[in-house]
Amino acid sequence: MSTLLAPSLPQRARLDWPAMPEHDDRDELKRQFEEQALPYMDQLYAAAMRMTRNPADAADLVQETFVKAFQAFSSFEQGTNLKAWLYRIQTNTYINQYRKRQRDPYQGSVDELEDWQLAGGESATATAGRSAEAEAIDHLPDSDVKDALAAIPEDFRLAVYLADVEGFSYQEIADIMKTPVGTVMSRLHRGRKLLREKLRDYAAGRGIGVTSAKEAAR
Amino acid sequence: MTDCGCEKAKAELEEYLHREVSDEDFADITEHLAGCEDCSEEHLVALTLTEKVRRACQEQAPAELRALIVARIRTLRL
Repeated sequence: MSTLLAPSLPQRARLDWPAMPEHDDRDELKRQFEEQALPYMDQLYAAAMRMTRNPADAADLVQETFVKAFQAFSSFEQGTNLKAWLYRIQTNTYINQYRKRQRDPYQGSVDELEDWQLAGGESATATAGRSAEAEAIDHLPDSDVKDALAAIPEDFRLAVYLADVEGFSYQEIADIMKTPVGTVMSRLHRGRKLLREKLRDYAAGRGIGVTSAKEAAR
Repeated sequence: MTDCGCEKAKAELEEYLHREVSDEDFADITEHLAGCEDCSEEHLVALTLTEKVRRACQEQAPAELRALIVARIRTLRL
């Protein structure tokens, strides 16, 4: 196989060799980047806050994401999804650099864990309690939601964030997280289930009319 | 369009919520939710959770960070 292909390789390599962009082209690319990519800064920062869970690391991560994105921008295919492309760079950067140095009680993959290992027992809310539960979730302060997100395993947190905050499709999330769609679905389902249990506990703790998962299990 | 029943509606609620079902399934599940209190309340909780998370996670990048990034990009060569 390789011997058959070998004769054509030098020629292909020459054809693919990137030409040094002309001055005007570089200015145009810079202008395009500022115009198209910079508007995603708030979104990328919000995602970085949920990823790193602290403002200093989030700022570093976003800065690094933009630098990398800028340097790779000439290879970005105009007309494709720029937001997903930026998220891919940021998620990749986070996983390769920041995650390693952060202390995370859930380090490593949680995909193999069974549901019973993740949560304190199944806790289906009775039908009568569900509209109260929806109302309770709605009334919780935003800080509770952020705390609950911070407390669930990272791979679940990312899947929930990308789906529910950013509205990415399962396939886009699979591309960003570099996992099969089935894994995305499983992480999303389990992440949302854990989140719902945590929020129910927070609501119960604040005396907002729901029974906590632990009490319900008794 | 036909009511899909509780079992399918419950099993695919998350995919329904995230618009990851076919148009046909979407219509069937919508019809089921309209007539089933149990499933529609489950749907309401799930929908509320999504909305709550989405709203709670909005952030604005600090002005200093924005300035830093813009300045840094201007100094970089492509």
